[in-house]
Amino acid sequence: MKKTSIVGKNVRKLDSVEKAMGAATFTTDISLPHMLYGKVLRSPYPHAKIINIDTSEAEKHPGVEAVVCYKNTPRVKFNTSATSTFTIPPLQPVEDQYVFDSVVRYVGDEVAAVAAESMEIAEQAIKLIKVEYEELPAVFDPLEAMKTEAPLLHGQCKEGRNIPGEKIHMEMGDVEKGFEEADEVFEHTFKLPVQKQAQMETQAAVAKVGVDGRVTIWSTTQTPHPSQRILATIFGLPYSKVRVLNPPYIGGGFGVRIGLSAKAEPIAMALAMQAKKPVKVVYDRKEDFIASDTRHSGYVTVKTGVKKDGTFTARKMRGLLNAGAYCSWSAETPGVLGAMGLSVYRCANQMYDGHSVYTNTTPGGAMRGFGNPQAMFAIESQVDIIAEKLGLDPLDIRMKNMMKPGDQWVLPYKCQSSGLEECIKKGAAAINWDCRGKVEKGSTKKRGIGVGIGSHVSNAWPFCGDYSNAYITIHQDGSVLLATGVPDMGTGTITTLAQMAAETLGISFDKVSVTFADTESTPFDIGSHASRTCYASGIAVVAAANDAKKQILQYAAKKMEVEEEELQIENNNVLAINNPEKQLPLNKVAVDAHLEGQQFIGVGKIVPENAPPWLAHFAEVEVDTETGKVKVVKLVAAHDVGKAIHPQIVEGQLHGGLAQGIGYALSEEIKYNDKGQQLNDGFHKYMLPTAVDIPELEAIIVEAAEPSHPFGVKGVGETGLVATAPAIANAIFNAIGIRFFEIPITEEKVYKALLNKENE
Amino acid sequence: MLKDYVQPKTVDGVLASLRQGNARIIAGGTDLMLDMKAGKTEVEKLVDINCVDSLKKIEIVDGSIIIGAAVTHQEVATSKLIQEKAPVLAKACRTVGSLQIRNTGTMVGNVINAQPAADAAVALIALGAVAEIFDENGISYLPVEELYLGVGQSKIDSSKQLVTSIKFPSLQSGQGSAFVRLAQRGALALPMLNVSVVVTLSGDKVDWLRLVMAPVAPKPVRATEAEKMIQGKQVNEETIIATANAVASQANPRDSALRGSGEYRKSVLQTLVKRGLIEAFAEAQK
Amino acid sequence: MAKTVLKMILNGKPVERLVSFDDTLLDALREDLGLTGTKKGCGKGECGACTIIMNGKAVNSCIVPALQAMDAAVETIEGIGTVEKLHPLQETFVDYGAIQCGFCTPGMIMSAKALLDKNVVPSREEIKEAIAGNVCRCTGYLKIEEAIMAAAEMMQSQQGK
Repeated sequence: MKKTSIVGKNVRKLDSVEKAMGAATFTTDISLPHMLYGKVLRSPYPHAKIINIDTSEAEKHPGVEAVVCYKNTPRVKFNTSATSTFTIPPLQPVEDQYVFDSVVRYVGDEVAAVAAESMEIAEQAIKLIKVEYEELPAVFDPLEAMKTEAPLLHGQCKEGRNIPGEKIHMEMGDVEKGFEEADEVFEHTFKLPVQKQAQMETQAAVAKVGVDGRVTIWSTTQTPHPSQRILATIFGLPYSKVRVLNPPYIGGGFGVRIGLSAKAEPIAMALAMQAKKPVKVVYDRKEDFIASDTRHSGYVTVKTGVKKDGTFTARKMRGLLNAGAYCSWSAETPGVLGAMGLSVYRCANQMYDGHSVYTNTTPGGAMRGFGNPQAMFAIESQVDIIAEKLGLDPLDIRMKNMMKPGDQWVLPYKCQSSGLEECIKKGAAAINWDCRGKVEKGSTKKRGIGVGIGSHVSNAWPFCGDYSNAYITIHQDGSVLLATGVPDMGTGTITTLAQMAAETLGISFDKVSVTFADTESTPFDIGSHASRTCYASGIAVVAAANDAKKQILQYAAKKMEVEEEELQIENNNVLAINNPEKQLPLNKVAVDAHLEGQQFIGVGKIVPENAPPWLAHFAEVEVDTETGKVKVVKLVAAHDVGKAIHPQIVEGQLHGGLAQGIGYALSEEIKYNDKGQQLNDGFHKYMLPTAVDIPELEAIIVEAAEPSHPFGVKGVGETGLVATAPAIANAIFNAIGIRFFEIPITEEKVYKALLNKENE
Repeated sequence: MLKDYVQPKTVDGVLASLRQGNARIIAGGTDLMLDMKAGKTEVEKLVDINCVDSLKKIEIVDGSIIIGAAVTHQEVATSKLIQEKAPVLAKACRTVGSLQIRNTGTMVGNVINAQPAADAAVALIALGAVAEIFDENGISYLPVEELYLGVGQSKIDSSKQLVTSIKFPSLQSGQGSAFVRLAQRGALALPMLNVSVVVTLSGDKVDWLRLVMAPVAPKPVRATEAEKMIQGKQVNEETIIATANAVASQANPRDSALRGSGEYRKSVLQTLVKRGLIEAFAEAQK
Repeated sequence: MAKTVLKMILNGKPVERLVSFDDTLLDALREDLGLTGTKKGCGKGECGACTIIMNGKAVNSCIVPALQAMDAAVETIEGIGTVEKLHPLQETFVDYGAIQCGFCTPGMIMSAKALLDKNVVPSREEIKEAIAGNVCRCTGYLKIEEAIMAAAEMMQSQQGK
């Protein structure tokens, strides 16, 4: 790889000073003249038919300017997730939602909404809406929902009772033959909880309808361009009349708004169209918890055939996810679960079957990892079981079977690079793996060390369509405007893209400005998700920069009377490679071109390949055997990211992922009561880690350059929690000899398991 | 609908404001503001007691510690006097919510709000604390233990009465205390269990013990049977285990979908009591 | 709606604003005074995004009655530094990668400032305790703690001068 001067450096992040000063604008901060406040009336029932809805009192309430429900909003079906905009035929997107419907399907489902002069008035007004419900039978568990007596949530589904979309099947080799060749066969089922993204800014949108009919929507979406299409389709508008943008910041995402921000955008839009005034809809924290996508809960079963020496001969997996009340990403997530689950280890005979099932609960959707953490909790727990049974070191069995470049796998792209072995070795050293099992164990506080490995993707293809565009405009003074359609939800996207643009162009970083996440000023991009921005959008940015650079060099070649191929741009100067004294400042080139009627405008239009990032997580835990409390003492995450464009951002992604992984392993869960009500509906009841709950974290960056990216990048946005939960669960096993097949591993579960073990 | 907000400077001023009717006392307001937003508390006037200087004191008078009604959790937690003379209370106050909550929420407010697991109340009951109450009939005193009527219900009527302070004897040499808490995370979490212990030793024998546990009933519970049982016993491991086993009969934690089953909490309570006793004995023997 | 005048010293300057009796301090700051740097993450004192400093102490402005700030000294994120001269915490939060989505940042910085205003040699535990009421879902807190440590050192050397 060529030596770089900006890529690989911890430059000052472009968004950070604004954010540090409280000057950065988020959707919740927007205020417009005559703006109204929207509030949503939500269903108290998990499944009910609206027999009658009377909004007249609310409409008469002073200060109320619009009331909307299923009677006066478009009867156009859609899917809040961006999947509906890039599902690749012959697959068809599942469109099963209206802005409002006459049937409600989970506690929190939208019934109606009001726009009023103030939030207080809007809150009073929704209480004046009279709704008569006929309760319908409800079902909460995916296994129950497939039974013939279960209520149908969306009529007949082609693949089976309450199954949205298509069932996923993947197969390679001959699984039955593989099991026959095995010396031992292991089969286990694992149960996964509902985890919540719990991003700091709740779902929010501000909609403004111009007198010319053009609509502007500021929102928290991670995908402005796909969201534009969803909204324009619902309201029957040309895409060009709907502008969707971030303002420009989003208070986190973690997948919760890949597509619409729950229904904040269409509700704000419906209210604004009726009131003919701007309307702001901000979900309160409870609404965000109960009426906005979660990570899928469900079951994963893994069956593995192994030779005595630890070689895997066959693997069969099944994933069954709880879709919740609407499809959202439930057709895609089982696919990623299976594909990632089958792609970490080399095994000639593999098979996966998976799908989701509708239930009367909050929809499951995208959350960091997208099925992969579910898969890897199962697989990495089982690999540990196998190692234990065969008397192998957990690291040896992993090294023996791990995927290597060139190995065959179920994915349609190639594994071209892997630093996994280095990750495992460096991580093991950092956690003192050699001390595993030799740690002094106290009488009531027992220590253990565990490992989990994994992989992920660097964009959304082949699970849905993926492509990126970017523009690079060179101003007359040689400074640069980069236009990209992706949001920066805190992951450093605009900074890393600007770094790649500056590096490619040979100009200094401070000369680059970025316009982003705005359908009117940027070309189409599928958005910030799937760990794809640095990889896929990055390839587009580099392509645009190369295009602009080519134009600059072509022009300069004439001016300087040097062959184009002999020119380069370095430090804002165009210079001859073999004769560096022959140079022209870029600002001179740009202004000369301008005076001759030319601007350098680079366009990047790319369809990315894909690339697996690799990771090894190590956990050290201490179990209090008298209370069952598990304390994570240290976490090490060694990740092959291909190339760290901005190492500090990469570390930040890993730390954040690890923290969410600790929560996933030990404490985070949304539970339901028998009335279908979400019990954990706020920060006080949802046990995500606070600063005092975080152990020592160590992020180790490994760089095995990826050939399919100009700088060697692989995705890093999601990998931080892919194998955290199994690493912790395996460490708990190492500490107390108890295997957990269900997360979160709460103090009570540990305590009871210890009692049971004692009584055995 | 709230129509007035007053900040009297004296206790008399507070009572005068209350007498005008439809009013309620606000101290930190951490719970009250939420109850009002949720429509649980309807009131026209709030009487803020934070400007009454006499309610902001932490002092020791004739061996009794007095903590005013406007003193925050954090002020209690960081008070040198409390850390030295009633460490159990300093520790309890330090575990409440978060620093921001502790900086606003008052200790007395926590007691009057009457939540089953109120950390400060659990410690205060172990310390044998008494509340000083002002109303139109004059001054009266009630042990903190008796302030509870039920979950979220206090004998104190904050539309008519003002608890000015809470008072308890400071711990002496030969006494020890402990506060032990089990929660699902290190901050921003209500306790699954909390236990407070105050013990007096004479020599190596237990003179008396006060042991309070929560949330194992609608209000904090004194483990009176265990307290009786341990009286006069030698301080040793056997006594500690016997006492810890004896608390179970008086603890009836209900199943909480959020914070653990009753069975689990009842069982693990003994561990907390054991740890509390060990710590309190060690302190008393210093 | 019944209203009254709230007077306070906001970021060093006296201000007067008409507020509702049931306004929270957060409402007053964001809606009445247009200071949107202070964020609302939950409205219940459970996340710390709304943290400001009142009379030297970090509080959740979403559950403090606006009128409790009468005559108080109130500091918000907008008042602690300028582009030309960032507060040491703003400087280190930027340089140590302590900022991702930025929504918890103002509250986090104010909690840290309340700590450092009283103690420029905090231990790691004191820092953790000071920010335990500030939920951050992006960073895992590590870089935030490092930034606060670094700011403390900057402030020590500034005070030493």
